[in-house]
Amino acid sequence: MSDNKSDEVSEKILNVARKNPKGISDKDMAAAVPELTSAELVAAINKLLQQGVFDLYNQGGSLLYRLKNQNSKQAIKGADNEEKVVYNLIEEAGNKGIWIRDIRIRSNLANTQLTKVLKSLEGKKVIKAVKCVNASKKKVYMLFNLEPDRSVSGGAWYQDQDFESEFVDILNRQCLRFLQQRADKIKNNPRGPIVGRTQSYATAAEVQKYITDLGISKVKLEVEDVITILNTLVYDGKAESNVYPDGNRVYRAIESLLPPPGLVQVPCGVCPLIHKCNSTGLITPQECKYMDEWLEQ
Amino acid sequence: MSRQLGRVVSQILNRYFGEIVEKVGNDLFMYGSKPMGMIIKSTGLPRTQVIESLRTLLKFDLATFEAKDVIVDYKLLPDNILLLIRYPRYLLQMKTKYGSEAEMLVEELLQQASCTATVLIVSVMNKYKDDKEKNLNIVKLKDTFISLATAGYIQQAPVAESNSEIPILVPVATIVPDLDVRELINAMNTNLNNVSDNIYWKVNYDRFHLDFRDEVMIKAVTRRIDDNAGELLKLMLEQMYLSSSSWASDSSPVPLTDLKDGCQRISDNMKNHVEQYLRVIEESTAFIRRTGDAGGGQYSVRIQHALIQLVEALCDHTVTERLGGKAARIFRLIRSKKYIEEDDIQKNAMLPNKECKELTYKLLEEHFISVQPMRKAASAGGMAKAIYLYHVKLHDVAHVIRDMCYRSLHNVMSVSRHTRVLNARLLDKKRRVRTIVHGMRLRGEPQQNIDDVRYIFCIYILRGAWTVEVLDTLTPPEVTSSAEAERRLNTLAASELHLDRELFILTSYFTYQR
Repeated sequence: MSDNKSDEVSEKILNVARKNPKGISDKDMAAAVPELTSAELVAAINKLLQQGVFDLYNQGGSLLYRLKNQNSKQAIKGADNEEKVVYNLIEEAGNKGIWIRDIRIRSNLANTQLTKVLKSLEGKKVIKAVKCVNASKKKVYMLFNLEPDRSVSGGAWYQDQDFESEFVDILNRQCLRFLQQRADKIKNNPRGPIVGRTQSYATAAEVQKYITDLGISKVKLEVEDVITILNTLVYDGKAESNVYPDGNRVYRAIESLLPPPGLVQVPCGVCPLIHKCNSTGLITPQECKYMDEWLEQ
Repeated sequence: MSRQLGRVVSQILNRYFGEIVEKVGNDLFMYGSKPMGMIIKSTGLPRTQVIESLRTLLKFDLATFEAKDVIVDYKLLPDNILLLIRYPRYLLQMKTKYGSEAEMLVEELLQQASCTATVLIVSVMNKYKDDKEKNLNIVKLKDTFISLATAGYIQQAPVAESNSEIPILVPVATIVPDLDVRELINAMNTNLNNVSDNIYWKVNYDRFHLDFRDEVMIKAVTRRIDDNAGELLKLMLEQMYLSSSSWASDSSPVPLTDLKDGCQRISDNMKNHVEQYLRVIEESTAFIRRTGDAGGGQYSVRIQHALIQLVEALCDHTVTERLGGKAARIFRLIRSKKYIEEDDIQKNAMLPNKECKELTYKLLEEHFISVQPMRKAASAGGMAKAIYLYHVKLHDVAHVIRDMCYRSLHNVMSVSRHTRVLNARLLDKKRRVRTIVHGMRLRGEPQQNIDDVRYIFCIYILRGAWTVEVLDTLTPPEVTSSAEAERRLNTLAASELHLDRELFILTSYFTYQR
C-alpha cells in the first residue's frame, strides 16, 4: 500500500519535472503533490535522488531538481562518482565535443585520474575521442552515439582530418560539366534570351541530384555541400550565380570576357624568372631557353 | 614611366629608326626633358646627328618641344612610340572597313607622318602604278580619302604659328576638302614641288582606338551571351557617338524605342527580344545600365565599368597562367569579398590549408593582392593578434601586369632583333633572290627559269648576264634555315601584336582612372 502510494507520488513529481526540462524547485514539487506533508515529500525526493532520476543543482541559492536523460541513466550504470561527473560534462558538450583540458578544469580531477576515467569510459564504448579538423593535435570527447558536428569533423570534405582536395576537384569538374551542358541554350534561343538563360540555369538541388546519380561520392552530399562546390566554380570564374524569385540560388556556366591575352601567349607571361630577366647578366631574353623552346614548336 | 617602358621604347626606336635615334631617345627618356646642348653632351653624338634624330622624332610626333625664353626643352612621348607597333592593326582595320585603297593611303600617310592630300594620293598612285592586280584609280583614291577624312580617321595636322623664332603648333579643326581630280592628274604628270596644296594631314590615332575599344567590348558580350547581344551593344555604341563625347565614361541614355528601330534591321528574333537582351546584358556583364523609365526605358553604356571588367578578366587570365587555377580562385575570392581574412579564404576556396596559404603568399609576393594589417589596441599586450585583411587593388594589379607586358614586349622584340642579326646574311640573300625572281617575272621569263633560280643555280653561271646575281642564290640548307628564321620572326611578330592588344586594354583602363 505504502509502496503504491509512493510510486504515485514519484510519478506525479516526475510528470512535473518532465514538463520543465530546465529543472524544478522543491516548491514546485510541493505544489504538484499538495496532499503530502513536507516530511513525506522529502522522503519521496530522497528516494528519487537515490535512484539517480534527478540531478541536483544549486541555482541562485535555491536548489533545482532536473530530470536526467533516460539513456544516460542506463549508460552510466555501475560507474563511480568521478566517471559520472566526467560523463555529465561530456554529455553537456553535445556533438561539438569537449577538450580534455576543459574537462580537467571543470571537474577538478587530477590529470592521471582523469585519463584513467576517460580510458575506462572509452573502453565501455560510452564516449569516443574525435580529432578536430581545425587543430590536428586537439582531441575532443563526445558521447559514443553522437555524430560529430561539422565544425569538428569538417563535413563531407574531410576524411580522418585530412582535407580531400582531390575529391573536391573531381566534384568541381563534374559540376562544371553539368552546367556547361546547359550553358549553350542561351545562344540565339528562338524564344528570347531570358528563356534561354533560365534554361541554362541549374539549381543546387539539380546539381546535387546529378552528382548523386553519378555515384562518384561515397559520402552522402547535402545540398549545402554542393553549394560550396558551386561557389568555388563562381570563384574560378567559370560560373555565375543568380537568385530566383523563390530565393533559390541558381548557377550557370559562363565564358571569360576575353580570350587568353597576349601576355600569357608568350613564355614571359608564365616565366618564373621574369623579374630576374635583364638585358645583361645571367638571364637574358637572347639566351632564354623557354623562348627557344617556344619558338621551336 | 617605368624602367620597363624605357627598355621597350628604346627597342622600338632601334627597330624603326636605328641606333642613333635610339640613343637620343634613351637619353630623353631618362632625363624627362632637356635642351639640345645637354643631349649632345650626354650622348656624345655629333650635333648634326642629334639634330637629325630630334627632327625625326618630332616629325613622327614621338617627341615635343617646349620653349623657355631662349632654351628649348625636348621631351619624349613614350606613349606615342608604343603606337609604332600598332601600325599593322591600323592597316588591318582600314582594309576591313574601307578596302585596300584606304589601307594604302593610311600606310603611306603613316610612313610620311604628315603630308598634303595631293602628295599623298599622287605618291600612292605612283607607287602602285605598275601593279596590275591592284587596279588603282585616282577617282577612287580621292573618294576614299574624303570618306576617311569625314569619318575622322585622318585629320588636319596642327599648323605652326611662326610669329616668333620658335613655332607653336596649334591644332585646327578638320575641314573635309574638295579635291579636284583634274588637278590631281596634272600633279601626277608634273613635278610635285609645284603643287600649291598646303593643308597637311595626319592619321588620327584616337579614332582608331575608339574602334578598337568598341570591338573589344562587343566581342566580350558576344562571348558571354550571343551574337545578337553583340549586335545590340554595337548599336548602342553607334548611338553613343551621336549623343555623347566618345571617350565619356558613361554614355548619355538612349531610349528603348530608338534601339528597337535599330534592331529591326538586324533580325526578327532580335526585334522581339530587345528588352530581354538588354536585361541579360545588364545582369550578366554590367556593360550597360538602365538609367530611367522615360520613353519605354533609358539605357546607357558604361564604358568605364566595362573596361574595369575587362581588366579584371585580364588579371584573372594572368594569375591563372602564372600561378594556376587554384591561385586564380583565391584571387577572385578576395576580389569578390573586398576584404577577407586568411581563415575565411581557406574556408571559401575549398583548398587544403597548406596549399591555400602558400598560394596566398605567392599572390602577395607577385603583387597581385595586398594586405592590410589591423592592429588591436596596444593595451592588450602580446595577447592581441593583429588581423590581416587581404584585398585586391585593381589599379595596382593593372600596373603590375602592364609592367609585365612591357617586359615581355621588350624580350620578344630583342629576341627577334637577335634572330635577325644572326640570320642577317641569309635574310639579305633571300631578299635579293626575291628581287631577281620578281624582275624575271616582270620581264616575262618562263616559269621554269624562275623555279630554277630559287633552288638550283650552277647552270646559270654559264648564262652571261645572270652570273653575278646567281652566285648569290640560296643552297638548299640555306633555304631551310632561312625559312626557319622567318617562321620564328613571324611568331614573334604575331605575339608582339597580341601583347599590344593587351596593352591597349590596359591603357584605355588607365585613361578612365585618371
